[in-house]
Amino acid sequence: MNCEEVRTHLHDFVKRRLDPALRGGVGAHLGGCASCSRAEQTEHALDELVEQRLPRYAAPATLQRRLGLLVGRPAPARAAPRRWTRALAPAMAAALAVGLGGVLLQRGVSRSSEPASLASELVNDHLRVLASQHPIDIESGGGHQVKPWFEGKLDFAPVVPVPEGGELTLRGGSVGYVFDRKAAVLVYGLRLHVVTLLVFRADGLDWPKAGEAERGTAHLSERSARGFNVVLWRSGELAYALVSDVNPAELNEVAARLAVATAQPRGP
Amino acid sequence: MALRTWIRGESAPRGVEDTLAHADGLYNLARYLTQDPGEAEDLVQETYLRAVRGWHEFTPGTNLKAWLFRILRNAFVSRYRQAVRHPAPDLYDTTEPSPEEAATGEAPAPGGLGPDQLRRVLSGEIEAALRSLSDDARTVILLDVEGLTESETAMVVGCAVGTVKSRLNRARAALRAKLADYAEGDEP
Repeated sequence: MNCEEVRTHLHDFVKRRLDPALRGGVGAHLGGCASCSRAEQTEHALDELVEQRLPRYAAPATLQRRLGLLVGRPAPARAAPRRWTRALAPAMAAALAVGLGGVLLQRGVSRSSEPASLASELVNDHLRVLASQHPIDIESGGGHQVKPWFEGKLDFAPVVPVPEGGELTLRGGSVGYVFDRKAAVLVYGLRLHVVTLLVFRADGLDWPKAGEAERGTAHLSERSARGFNVVLWRSGELAYALVSDVNPAELNEVAARLAVATAQPRGP
Repeated sequence: MALRTWIRGESAPRGVEDTLAHADGLYNLARYLTQDPGEAEDLVQETYLRAVRGWHEFTPGTNLKAWLFRILRNAFVSRYRQAVRHPAPDLYDTTEPSPEEAATGEAPAPGGLGPDQLRRVLSGEIEAALRSLSDDARTVILLDVEGLTESETAMVVGCAVGTVKSRLNRARAALRAKLADYAEGDEP
């Protein structure tokens, strides 16, 4: 195999998409050719560049809700159509009616499976944080900076726990959605892990009962979905959901600490 | 199921909600193709309308993500690229070989930044370089990043697998060349 042939297969070699025989041929050539070996390193570096540093745009929450209507998934009653109406208004208006009707009709059905779908919804929200190049709209300068930022953006005042003296650090926050309601999305760092705390109104949601354990002043409920762990608790009218790929025991410890903070009387 | 029937009151086709898992990837490609957030939302929305309407054409067990990307790409070509308000940018068309390359069948000579220089490229620079490429070049690079195989990408863009391989190699070489232009521009 000569250099020219090898170069045409380098990207597939790096991506491990070659069959064993071809892979072996390319590998043998790279072992004895400094020039092609450097070209292979360049392919690696370019892959890292486009996969890790190229900005990736997540679908806005408003678009996600409209798409939810289109595919018949429960969607918010307050979904506000925007620019798309100019071309798709007739079809979408009908779809909106169908979608909202679907929400009402499916209410009884969806509630029975809500704990499982709630965990899935929360993991989706966490994945959006992970995928977004700009997961936070307000960077943390502390709770006194993040909490006031939510004023006027939510129909409730979230408690923003700010851990001190540990590995968990508040990075910032943004506004997202959990099902049909707005949520405060608080993003924390725990070593190299991202931990997302979603705060949202609990009314109308069937709260999971199984797997609930009393920890201090809060009843923590653990769930997992697609490799992520979720810990849920309530405080008054608000629900809290902590989501991360951190192991269940450690996430539970973190949740217990945050639950104590969220159970405290709200400050001015 | 016909869209008219669906709108009349029947629920969305069973399984179509699985498409939501790919909304972010579709929107990301739409952003890079349309270069405009609002247009990208329109394009993704049209993609979903087409997907629901043509759900009976999807074969269970095949790659749903690739199927959706094909719909999005077709919608972009038919609705956006040909629109007067969005003429296709004549930038770095890297998807077709030059006459010399076509005559010899040779791949373009490697060029552009080396591995150490690539590791110093900033996020804004790689985004600008990608945006400077042709629609087709941007598409094959982004589909590659999304993890589609060359055969899946060939299905999306409607060409032979071998063509995808050469398009992708050319697009990546052009990307490195563009980044090299930026690097030269930064030198005193």
